[in-house]
Amino acid sequence: MLTRVLHTLVILLAMTTGTWAAVVEETDIDVRTREIAKTLRCTVCQTESVWESAAPLAQQMREAIRERVAQGQSAEEIRAYFHSRYGDYILMQPTAQGLNWLIWAGPFALLVLGGIFLYRALNRWVAQSPAPAPEPLSPVDDRSRDRLDRELHRTAPP
Amino acid sequence: MTRSSQVVLVLVLLGLFALFYQGLWGDPRRIPAVLIGTTAPALEGPDVVSGARISWDQFRGKVVVVNFWASWCQECKLEHQNLLTIQERFQKDPHFVMLGVNYQDKVEHAQQYLNTHGSSFRHVRDVKGLLAIDYGVYGVPETFVIDQQGIIRYKWIGPVTGDAYTRLTEKVLVPLLQGTAPSI
Repeated sequence: MLTRVLHTLVILLAMTTGTWAAVVEETDIDVRTREIAKTLRCTVCQTESVWESAAPLAQQMREAIRERVAQGQSAEEIRAYFHSRYGDYILMQPTAQGLNWLIWAGPFALLVLGGIFLYRALNRWVAQSPAPAPEPLSPVDDRSRDRLDRELHRTAPP
Repeated sequence: MTRSSQVVLVLVLLGLFALFYQGLWGDPRRIPAVLIGTTAPALEGPDVVSGARISWDQFRGKVVVVNFWASWCQECKLEHQNLLTIQERFQKDPHFVMLGVNYQDKVEHAQQYLNTHGSSFRHVRDVKGLLAIDYGVYGVPETFVIDQQGIIRYKWIGPVTGDAYTRLTEKVLVPLLQGTAPSI
């Protein structure tokens, strides 16, 4: 029984060591490949980067990135290569050039325009609405009037 | 709301509607290819059938039809007979050559595919998928036409069937082989 427990512990320890070794052994090439792959879009996926995707094309792209990193190419050179093949679509973050400015500035411009529109509309509504007339006082019947008089008379100073 | 504000609002809405309409009804196969008008990357690698190395040099100075395909691709089967017809029609022209690029495939599957469906032109294996990335390929089938100066002049995503077949042969290949610009 004790032997079986020891064997299990040894196996578990070996598995832990293996996992730890895998983390430690990540090379500089692995790190740079990952950082570049995160900035490129998987062209056959929906909103996934080349790093995150399990698609065969994304796997091949990761390998292509790794090869270029190993050859000493910079991140910009590698991104430029993919951009020259697939255009702006390959970039997870589109460049702020040409019509792409619309993507960057569009939401803010719409927000400002919406704010101005809302401000002017509210101002107009306020100006057009007449000031509310004071509500007429409810009439006091004779019974209530008598009671009020009695109360006032009772509390009035002598 | 003033008159000018109403006009601006209508214009903005019309613009958004136009974008929506284009996205809804536009042809997704007509993805603008950034490689059109640029020098074609070299296509080199082992021949699918013989394993002998295919060199890009033998294609220089010719109009090259490059077709990316795979044995697991159903749409590739749809266009295969049309590709054989194109080869049969233009092969007598010394300036014409056709090249298949086998993509994300096992060589035995590719060979079996060619045995089953027929083959009258050469096919290079894209062993690591780098040729496809060089050509900005999204998937298969995709077809490119390269002119005699080595410039990519046309790209089609999807099977070369129907109008795509007519466009490729009559509006791209015939003019290029006659030394004129494609009429697309």
